Order: sequence, then structure tokens, then C-alpha cells
Amino acid sequence: MSDFREAQDQAHPNKTNTLMLGIIMLLIGILSIQIWLLYSALNNALDENEDIAIAAFVGSLILFFTGLWLLKYLPDTRRRVNEEEQTGSKYQ
Amino acid sequence: MAYEPKEENPPNWKRDFPIRQDEATHISRREFAKFLCLLSGGLALGNGYVVLSSFAFPDKELEGEHFVCNTSDVPVGGMTMFAIQGTREIPYILIHLSEGEWRAFEQKCTHLSCAVVYRDEVKKIECPCHNGWFSADTGEVLQGPPPRSLPQLSVVVRDEKVYVTAFNDTVS
Repeated sequence: MSDFREAQDQAHPNKTNTLMLGIIMLLIGILSIQIWLLYSALNNALDENEDIAIAAFVGSLILFFTGLWLLKYLPDTRRRVNEEEQTGSKYQ
Repeated sequence: MAYEPKEENPPNWKRDFPIRQDEATHISRREFAKFLCLLSGGLALGNGYVVLSSFAFPDKELEGEHFVCNTSDVPVGGMTMFAIQGTREIPYILIHLSEGEWRAFEQKCTHLSCAVVYRDEVKKIECPCHNGWFSADTGEVLQGPPPRSLPQLSVVVRDEKVYVTAFNDTVS
């Protein structure tokens, strides 16, 4: 049965390039939000509003796990895909 | 660009930074994405550290009275700097606002920790680094980039001697 990874490996490189670009853009977006959260948490903790630090921590952790989950969809390297196609190890 | 057949065994630098788009889903971008994710984990940890340090190790309040100087040492409109012995080394300023009116604040600007100074001609505290101004009466921000008021101490004058204690709103 074909799965996402197999379909992705057979896709045209233009498609995998777009996917790669999309994932990197999403990760940069996640990082920007996390920097903003850390800045707010620090500023508020110094102003003795510690509760915001907890909310920012939970948010930051969720964003981190979202980024980790996104890595699952990173396309394989072309080199590896080509090698597997040549040896036929993957689709036997 | 004209089509060129792929090289059989390209050198490492060509494999790492390919020109052709179909070879560009390459280890370098995969590693960059993973590095971004690692950074994201680092920021989440940093946020956890802020939580830990605010709840598990809160700043201790100053205990007892601490002698600063004699009242005759600072004229009206003057300022002196001091640090409290036996505590974490924090620089403070003592301001003689008017006859019998004293104020003590932390000397570190809440923006980037530059040393603030009292300007008697305008009766305000100035941070000369980025033109930040604080009220000499309450330590509130009046102008500029500082995001928070200056932390304050209470001043007690007894027998011509000036002491400071932890700030309590009801005292002033």
C-alpha cells in the first residue's frame, strides 16, 4: 500500500521543492512567534506578572511540537531516492 | 540555461550547493529546517527557564534598615550612589529632592541597564544612553524607551542619618 512518503519520493522535484520551501517558511514563522513570546514573558516577569510566563511557555512548547511534527513531511534527499530506485530496495 | 547532463561523481561542494533545481532538495535545506526546529526547542526551553526562575527563585525582598550616609553628605538637589553591603551587588541612587524629601531608586535603567542620573534642573531622572526619563518622585517612566518604572527603596531619616528599607507603598 502506498503511503505519503512513497508518493512524495515519486513526485516531481518541483513539488518537493515547494513543500520544502513551505515547511521552512512555516518554521521561520514559528520561530518568530516564539521570539515574541519569550520577549513578552521576560518583560512581564520583570514587571512581576509571572502568569504570562506560564502561558508563553505552554504556547512556545506547542509551537515547538508543531515544528517537530512538520519535519515528518520534509522531502527525502534526491540522492537517497535515486540510490533506492537504482537498487530497487524500496519498492520490492 | 542549456541543459547539461548530470555529472557522475560531483565533488562534495557541488552536491551541497547544487545549481540545478531538481537536485536542490538537498541535505543543506533539510538540515536548515532541522536546525530551525532545534532553535525552536531552545526558545521553548528559554521560556521554561523564565517560568522556573520567576516561581522557584523569586527575588528576595530587602530585610531591615541599611545605613547609606549622613544627611549633611548630600545637599538639597544632590544625588549620591550606594550599594547595600551583604546583598547582591545592585547600584542605587539616593536623591535629596527638597528639604526632608529623600528618594532611593535602583540605578540601572529598565531598558538596557545604563546608569541613570538625577537632573536637578528639571527635577527628573535621566538615562543618558537612549534619552529615557523617569519621575524623581515615583520612578515612573515619563519618556523614552524604558518599559518599566525604576525599582524603589523607602528612605528613613533618623538622627541625621539616612537609612533605606524595602519599598512599601504605604510608607511614602
